[in-house]
Amino acid sequence: MQEVTPRVTAPYLETFAHKTVRILGKVIQLRGEQATIDAGGQINIHLNRDAHLTPNHAVEIIGKVQSDLSVRVLTSTDFGANIDFAAAEAVVDATHRYHEIFYPKED
Amino acid sequence: MDYSNQYTMTSYGAQGGAGGGGFIPGGSQNSPSGATREYGNETLRPVTIKQVLDAEQKPDSEFSLDGSRITQITLIGQVRNISTQTTNVTYKLDDGTGTLEVKQWIDSDAPTGLDGADSSKPKIVDNAYVRVWGKIKDFNNRRHVGAHVIRPIADYNEISYHLLEATVVHLYFTRGPPDAAAGKGGQGLWRMAPLPNGTSAAARKVYEVLKNSPQSNEGLHMQDIAGRGRMDMAETSVNRY
Repeated sequence: MQEVTPRVTAPYLETFAHKTVRILGKVIQLRGEQATIDAGGQINIHLNRDAHLTPNHAVEIIGKVQSDLSVRVLTSTDFGANIDFAAAEAVVDATHRYHEIFYPKED
Repeated sequence: MDYSNQYTMTSYGAQGGAGGGGFIPGGSQNSPSGATREYGNETLRPVTIKQVLDAEQKPDSEFSLDGSRITQITLIGQVRNISTQTTNVTYKLDDGTGTLEVKQWIDSDAPTGLDGADSSKPKIVDNAYVRVWGKIKDFNNRRHVGAHVIRPIADYNEISYHLLEATVVHLYFTRGPPDAAAGKGGQGLWRMAPLPNGTSAAARKVYEVLKNSPQSNEGLHMQDIAGRGRMDMAETSVNRY
């Protein structure tokens, strides 16, 4: 597992293509091996065997951003139904605005 | 009656002594250049794991972050590995900003749990999120945290809360307080309290004077306040609503 997994939302996926990231989103739809979550926009994710997603629950996934900006899940954690997504979004904003305390930025 | 009135007028920063409450009078705690280096300024700082790994180690084995000495820290993380030894339990934590080993010594004198596992405590399992309070340690050049307390996180919003709090404190130390323009030379917390609605014009004036005048423990004489505020003596006194 990657040592550093920056928290991102949908708009950041392009910047983090082929990187391992952490996304906190709401489960919109389950389609067998794939699912759609909402995290500042819809994201398609490819599930692994251990992933147990519940519709309308918040889920935190760590995964690798693919070329088509879908995300291949490495691990997932159910965060339940009472997540403040505005706070989560503020965290993502702070992560990239003040990245010096969150992740090393490559230039 | 008269006594209580005077008492409150003169007691800024001196309450500890007078009331026998036993806490340190306010002034000394706020002094920016603390002469007491050691236990006088223990702090508890919320940090990310990256900050722990980046913290600078001083020759006296103290750690500092953003130019400020750190003692106690608190952090959150997801448990990636648990390794139980006879004397301690080592957790590998991951908060998205890095990974770190957190060591908790097993208290063999603990009243419950013969095998060191206290059954009354919530259990910490793999992949659970936990909050840790502890101190940064360096042992054989391996940085870890010696934990006083580790508890599982029950409400996942605490993760967002913690990361935002760590950001706020980081910005406080690197850029100064958010109201830096208004905070020049200020020393008291009471300065920041807004006046309640319905405060009379005279009371506001007195407040402004108190706010902007240099003060000692004795406070200001009402004559002085009247002079500074260009007010009538009668106006400054007995301002009971």
